[in-house]
Amino acid sequence: MRRAARTRLSTALLLAPPLAFLTLLFALPLGRVLYGSVFAPDFTLAHYARMWTVPVYGRVFWITLKISTLTTVGCVLLGYLAAYFLATVRPRTRQLLLLGVIVPFFLSVLVRNYIWMILLQKTGLLNQALARLGLVREPLDLMYNETGVLIAMVNMLLPYVIFPVLSSLLAIPPELRQASASLGAGAVRTFWRVTLPLSLPGVAAGGLLVFIVALGFFITPALLGGPKQMMISNLIEFSVRQVLNWPFAFALADTLLVGTLLLYFAYVRLLGGRMPRTGFP
Amino acid sequence: MTRRWSRRRLTRLAARSVLAVLGGGVLLFLVVPVLSVIPMSFSSSMVFELIPSEPSLTQYRRFFSSPEWMAALGRSVQVALGTTFVATIMGALAALGLRRLRGTRRAVLEALLIAPRIVPTIVLAVALYFVFSQTGLVGTLGGLVLAHSVLAFPFVVVLVGSALQGLDPALEEASRSLGGNPLRTFFRVTFPQIRLAVLGSALFSFNVSFDEVVITLFVSGVRTKTLPVKVWDAILYEITPILPAISAVIIVASVLLLTPLLLARRSS
Repeated sequence: MRRAARTRLSTALLLAPPLAFLTLLFALPLGRVLYGSVFAPDFTLAHYARMWTVPVYGRVFWITLKISTLTTVGCVLLGYLAAYFLATVRPRTRQLLLLGVIVPFFLSVLVRNYIWMILLQKTGLLNQALARLGLVREPLDLMYNETGVLIAMVNMLLPYVIFPVLSSLLAIPPELRQASASLGAGAVRTFWRVTLPLSLPGVAAGGLLVFIVALGFFITPALLGGPKQMMISNLIEFSVRQVLNWPFAFALADTLLVGTLLLYFAYVRLLGGRMPRTGFP
Repeated sequence: MTRRWSRRRLTRLAARSVLAVLGGGVLLFLVVPVLSVIPMSFSSSMVFELIPSEPSLTQYRRFFSSPEWMAALGRSVQVALGTTFVATIMGALAALGLRRLRGTRRAVLEALLIAPRIVPTIVLAVALYFVFSQTGLVGTLGGLVLAHSVLAFPFVVVLVGSALQGLDPALEEASRSLGGNPLRTFFRVTFPQIRLAVLGSALFSFNVSFDEVVITLFVSGVRTKTLPVKVWDAILYEITPILPAISAVIIVASVLLLTPLLLARRSS
């Protein structure tokens, strides 16, 4: 009995500092943002109403959803190819090739965006290469538009699809494919009827995660997009730093927050209630 | 019969090579852009060239001899060291406490501890900017350390948490029943077994802070710009050939920081 009480006390002592830390620097600031969007200082829903009634802001939401959807499609298609390829090579080779997925994933997001600017600008390396090969006469507009944003976002979010798809592909027992082949199905048919359906949970999990993370993207649209590619994060920054309209920025932030959390709950359910181990594959 | 079989084998071979080209292409798409900045950083001209016509260390020299850039680098290292300290201790404490809970309580707490990684960074940036501006923390190194620690904290909880999961509770039981007090048990039995995870968390936290730009843009003042914020300003407001060299420095620093982590992961 005394021992149980002591254990409880030491558990509380262990958890007290991190919980105080999170309360002060995470929960309270977020609470302040929620509060500030409706009390400014009296209760009002005007800032939320403004989001839906002013057409410019509606367009920002639409663009955010559009870019996130296209990024997800791009990541799923390219990520599936990469994962399928990785699943077919020998384990040692796979470990080595996976370094190429893991290492860039943890490198500075800012630097990687900057590199895409160097590559995609009018006098950039890609246009130089295309001109030298005689494929284009005029340099292509690859940046300050949707193309640039999508290329960089797909590049940065691909690992979120590659990992879950690869693990679901590797979890398929090889006997299933052998059985399908011995029953007379060709490789294509086996892929469509056996491999693809069994790897769909990985595709769904990865795709949803890409979509969630894409919704909150800030750096890429700011650097590689033009004015027409302003996403919700950029509008939040603009409202705070340029217009100083705090309550409106709070309302936008809350909308993004709630949307993200709802999708995240869907994601956790998709994984069967298991909390995903964030970040580190 | 044999002809059909060989045709089948041929199509299989063709399919495999197409797959290798496409899948390998995606992998190259991930790796090549990051690497391309390294040869570019040795350029001496204003034009971006993949292979510089006259390779030189001009840009590196300019970076390392500029008091402004060095001040930003110094601040980044200071903030990253502070973050490493705060996030690793807080995260390790949380992971140790979390291990003693069971059931719903544990699940709820775990979700809360990981939440800073799920909330979009811009939301956290606005929230911290508002609270910091009311408490005088904007533009202070301490404020930056606290803000970065919130972001690094969940990684520590996850890394130390999974190391603790692989730990045999019987060892700690044994130490306690032999009369070891909790502190002694922790430092003699528990800590030696999670040492690598704690070290990895520290490296990881350093990296998170060293690269952070979104929250830092908000809460750093004019005089406390970190290296990434100065890079951000340079990208937006000036055209300077120094940036590829700085990018290469940042990338190499991150790779060096993460190498021990990757090595530990492979050997385990």
